[in-house]
Amino acid sequence: MRRRSLWSAVLVAGLTVAGCGSATGSDQSSGGSTDKLVVWDWKSGEPSAASYIEKAKAGFAKKHPHVTVEFVAQPFDQYYTLLGAAIQSGKGPDVMLFNGGGQIRDRVDALVPLDEYLTEDKQRLAGWEAFTKDGKTYAGPVTLQGHPIYYNKALYEKAGLDPATPATTWDEFLADCGAIAKAGADCIALGNKEGAGIQFWLSALGSGILTAQEYDDWIAGKRDWTSPHVKQVFELWKQAGDQGLNNDGANSTAMFNDSFALFQSSKAAHVIGLMSDVGHWKDFNEFVTPDKLGVMGAPVVTAGTTPSLAYDGGIGYGVAKWTKEPKVAADLVRSLTSTEALTAFYADAGAIAADTTIDVSQGGPAAAAIVAGIKTGKPALHVALSSKTLDLMGRLSQQLLSGSTTVDEVVKQLAASDKAA
Amino acid sequence: MPLRNAHPSVRAGGAGRTDEALPPPAERRSPRPVRGSRTERLAPYVLIAPTALIILALRLYPLLLGVNFSFTGDGERNGTAVGVDNYRELFGDPLFRTALGNVGLLVLLLPVAVAIPGLLATFIYLRVPGHRLYRSVYFFPAVLSPVIVGAIFNLLLAFDGPLNAALSRAGVSPVDWLGDPDVAMFAVVGVHVWATFGMALVVFLAGFATLDSALLDAARVDGASLLRVIWHVIIPRLTRTIQFVFVTTMIGMLTSMFGLLYVMTSGGPEGSTYLPEYYIWIQQGQMNRPALASAASTVLFVIMLVVGLLQITLLQRAGRDD
Repeated sequence: MRRRSLWSAVLVAGLTVAGCGSATGSDQSSGGSTDKLVVWDWKSGEPSAASYIEKAKAGFAKKHPHVTVEFVAQPFDQYYTLLGAAIQSGKGPDVMLFNGGGQIRDRVDALVPLDEYLTEDKQRLAGWEAFTKDGKTYAGPVTLQGHPIYYNKALYEKAGLDPATPATTWDEFLADCGAIAKAGADCIALGNKEGAGIQFWLSALGSGILTAQEYDDWIAGKRDWTSPHVKQVFELWKQAGDQGLNNDGANSTAMFNDSFALFQSSKAAHVIGLMSDVGHWKDFNEFVTPDKLGVMGAPVVTAGTTPSLAYDGGIGYGVAKWTKEPKVAADLVRSLTSTEALTAFYADAGAIAADTTIDVSQGGPAAAAIVAGIKTGKPALHVALSSKTLDLMGRLSQQLLSGSTTVDEVVKQLAASDKAA
Repeated sequence: MPLRNAHPSVRAGGAGRTDEALPPPAERRSPRPVRGSRTERLAPYVLIAPTALIILALRLYPLLLGVNFSFTGDGERNGTAVGVDNYRELFGDPLFRTALGNVGLLVLLLPVAVAIPGLLATFIYLRVPGHRLYRSVYFFPAVLSPVIVGAIFNLLLAFDGPLNAALSRAGVSPVDWLGDPDVAMFAVVGVHVWATFGMALVVFLAGFATLDSALLDAARVDGASLLRVIWHVIIPRLTRTIQFVFVTTMIGMLTSMFGLLYVMTSGGPEGSTYLPEYYIWIQQGQMNRPALASAASTVLFVIMLVVGLLQITLLQRAGRDD
């Protein structure tokens, strides 16, 4: 009898402890110490980032010689899972790397607003918007990420097209695709296995489809999914698939890096790539030499639109709420975004850095064209969507390619998901 | 034999001769102090305490926390009780329903996954030409990690990959193995079976080792065909082995498909290859919805509990039959 009551007491105690609110706990006690800063990222382990990290460390050591900095490189595909666990426990790194947009906005509860520490950098760096929520900035941008349309000038020549004047309208683009198909290559290298192809499509072509007003409204959160122009984005996606503009088996082709490999190996003439990290001009240069690699603006679909480069802050470092001295951690963020450090990152990794004062004239015409587009560029359309809507859009885009759904149904479902988010 | 002499009571019932050397039972018990009997009574509890406490602290308590967590909200509602909202959202999500449906599909495919190693083991047992070679060849994939297997089959099953090239040479139009929602799940399960049947094959071969060859000879003398031998002799004699393989294959299918799915399809195309595990991982890691992921984990736990209990019943019944 006594034993049974003991057991019930243990059980009740356990349930009471469990019943007290969430398992996350509200205790955000410190995980850091003042003489050591721990940085989490997925970049510092890469050889091409070595001199960037070194320069940033040196810059920080000048300001805070007694603080040691430890970089912990996490595998990217596990990064947000690991970070999520750290945030849930209220302990973790002092400074952490984030992708701009949804990934950081979903987690600002765990971050310190950095506006007061980073005022001096506001002019020099671009891409702040992607790290901002409700008017507060939560990270210093390191790179810019965007979606230029790259094209292979050698394939243009082979197809009898002028590589210096790529198509500026959708009809011209379709005509060029026809010529390229005759030359034996696919028009677009598309990898939609992860469902990311549609995101790139939306952002790279959006400025030629949506009117300037619709574009700005979209970014501001007033998205009209019933607008014929929004529908057209998905209609053209379907059209490109139906007309065989894409490589075969796009739904089972991984964007990273099979679709980029198709472009690099000259099996497809166009690819919507990235500006930084992977799938960018420097990556492509390995096989498509700088003089054969071009960057074109979005073909105009809706008359009167002015195509612009879609880009946002790519990755940036934020400071955790539980760090002991946010000022010191913010100084590390400043060192990680200094001109000197970012120049090294641009030169070695080919990233288009957030620092607009870096000289890119050595990078070839593609890099120059991208940097020239930054001034008139706008935030990418897909970055404004929640990760849930993006996930749904990925699956729906696969259905559009396989023909198992209609554009109307896609737009309807996305509108519902976007509204709920 | 000093050990045996030190514990004569162990052998007491064994040989009548040793009885004389021991005092009668009553005498043996009487000098023992009362405290000792309590120690003896408590001893089992003390001995299982470490295990029990570890299970309690590291398994059951976190399990309770997780279940409790699944009744709280995500994001702005973090930490507040939301009732069954997460479960309602879960069952309203077509993706999670697909994931559950795929679990059902795995259960349906289970007989195939068991029959393949069973049949191949039968051939090896019946010494088809080259059976020694096949025995090691069949086991080989079992030592590869799912990631490597997935990467290999990603290449083989790519739309412009060697399998489709072979098909087109044979005049068959190419199949988008991993890009067609009606085909992809079967492709992944097929690869999983390929990668894991070696283990089941070994278990079957062990089962065959206990098979009385006289029965097979008798069947052959009676002129039974191969199919009849399998149906009337091999299957009835291997019931327990088959049941065991069923249980282990089931566990393997439900718990270790994640790596393959992750590498081969990422849950796609069109979300058709989602399994609950993958759903949990996406919600927690990509969507930042730990509470929803907890709810999905709880559902998966309940499913596994039911499956596990069924399997235990099955194994117990098999044991009793013997």
